[in-house]
Amino acid sequence: MDFSTALQIFFSGLNLGSIYTALGLGFFVVYSVTRVLNLAQGEFVMLGGMLTVSFYTMGIPLPASIALAVVITGLVGAGFYRFIIYPARNASGATKVFLTLGFSFIIEGVALRVWGWEFRILPAFLDTPSIQLWGATIFGQTPWVIGITLLMVIGLFLYFGRTIQGKALRACANEPLGARLMGISIERMALFSFILAAGLGAVVGALITPLTMTSYSMGLPLAAKGLLAAFVGGITRAEGVILGGFIYGMIEAITAGVIPGGYHNAIAPLILVVIFLSRRRGLLVTAGKG
Amino acid sequence: MLANTRVIKEIPKRVATAKRQNLVLALFAIVLLTIPLGASPYPLTVMVDIGLYSIITMGLIMLMGLAGQISLGHAAFVGCGAYISGILTTKYDFDPWPALFLAALITGGIAAFIGRFMFKLHGLILAGVTLALNLVFYHLVSSLIDLTGGAMGMMSIPPLSLGPFTSQNLFFNYYLIWIIAILLLIFSLNLSDSRPGRALRALNVHAGGSEDAAQVVGVDVTKYKVWVFVLSAVYASLAGSAYAHYTRIIEPGTFMVQLSAMVALMAIIGGRSSPWGAFLGAGLIVGLRQLLRESIPVLVGGLSGSYELIAYGIILVVALLFMPQGLISIVRRAAPRKRAVLDES
Repeated sequence: MDFSTALQIFFSGLNLGSIYTALGLGFFVVYSVTRVLNLAQGEFVMLGGMLTVSFYTMGIPLPASIALAVVITGLVGAGFYRFIIYPARNASGATKVFLTLGFSFIIEGVALRVWGWEFRILPAFLDTPSIQLWGATIFGQTPWVIGITLLMVIGLFLYFGRTIQGKALRACANEPLGARLMGISIERMALFSFILAAGLGAVVGALITPLTMTSYSMGLPLAAKGLLAAFVGGITRAEGVILGGFIYGMIEAITAGVIPGGYHNAIAPLILVVIFLSRRRGLLVTAGKG
Repeated sequence: MLANTRVIKEIPKRVATAKRQNLVLALFAIVLLTIPLGASPYPLTVMVDIGLYSIITMGLIMLMGLAGQISLGHAAFVGCGAYISGILTTKYDFDPWPALFLAALITGGIAAFIGRFMFKLHGLILAGVTLALNLVFYHLVSSLIDLTGGAMGMMSIPPLSLGPFTSQNLFFNYYLIWIIAILLLIFSLNLSDSRPGRALRALNVHAGGSEDAAQVVGVDVTKYKVWVFVLSAVYASLAGSAYAHYTRIIEPGTFMVQLSAMVALMAIIGGRSSPWGAFLGAGLIVGLRQLLRESIPVLVGGLSGSYELIAYGIILVVALLFMPQGLISIVRRAAPRKRAVLDES
């Protein structure tokens, strides 16, 4: 393998890794606060992508389109928590998973109604041209994906680590009773985590639409990929999700580079499952802490 | 231990209900097997769909209701059955019947292999991993173009035949699928009252059991979980093979995560505590689907696909919030004597 191929694979891995990290973070935000495994996370991504395309084709500038998509998806996330998850807040984890699956069906149906079955696409942000670097070609959207994911990660760390509200969210996750005794409303924090996850998902949707296109039925497969990334690194810690996301991205890029045909789509998640089965608490979660 | 004393107390009740169960079963079989005598082709094709979904759902119900494990990847096993049947008959000149059974055997073997590793996982994590494995299956089948035809799928799969009849004949196919469904129902009902069935219930947290307690009284927890997982995969494979030989065309998209979600939906709506729930769930959802397909084009115009998805979602959410035991609980409440409880909470 020559240098330019390796470089190409590396950038492809960074790009995919950023996407999987961003997908996984949506699961992390909801799971760490509410212990709900939200299979509808992929639908937020789909909604974000679809809404951005719709507003953009109406002639609204791209940043405003994305902002609108994020706000609307956030509202959908709020409604989801308030009307579907909140009434079942005392139900078992399995019941909640299936509730998120039911919501996923509803959103998919609404999307099919509104946008039809066609795939939608956006141009690379600001029409960024592809970049040539030592023989490797980097698609114009890639720097945006990596940069914005980085911003989201930094934002989450600052928010959870530095703000009172972020600390309250973490408190809910670690010690719900204690948090309640300290006057933190767990319900409000849970609502907030759903809005945050929906908003994050919408940003991811807008980010990946120039690369992979968006269609009404992509939510559940995306959710499966994001979940894998989160599981492998450890869904209860943000660092774990980031590590899992980049491992997934790199493995997929390498298998795609080495084995032609669509096999990487099957082999990469399979390798991830094997890694996860051999290290079930997640790579970053040490014994006794998970 | 609590789980086991409960199981022992249930035994006399179970003997009494077994007779009633046999009566219901006989009635069910007679009604189903006489339906085609007066029916036109359209209701029969719908009934075939219900039969196929019921078989898959029954397997999932055993896994979820008896062993308390969640799978969101069962479409992969349906796909295994369909593709192995298709490959054996079209590429290796197998007859359809041996292909169907060999497919079930291979799929069971795959499930046994995966199960050994996977049942170290619990509950929600298992749901996520099975979902991911469904994705793996889809992409694998889409990529193995020489063997599976890739995204284009496989065509001209030969039909199952018996004497002069083939599964291209709707009546024959109806009987074929419903006889398989009824035989599997009898097997499932007997299983839940057998030693493995009791062992499984003893380890099912949702049925008031406990894995630790089951382990203490000598139940090999992982073995039984893998065992029921294999069984549910075999059910799915049989339905997949029957589907492949019936439609004669298969493509990877059919066996994507959406099918797994549909089957889970049917299991929950029907009720996870009894194999009967599979028929209630599949009947309701397929019935609703047909109703929407008939009425939407007339009432609002256009295709009904989006309305179907919305309806499924709403039904699933409403069922989970207000009827978590599924339709089977309503049927039981209506019956004068309750069957012994093995419901989930």
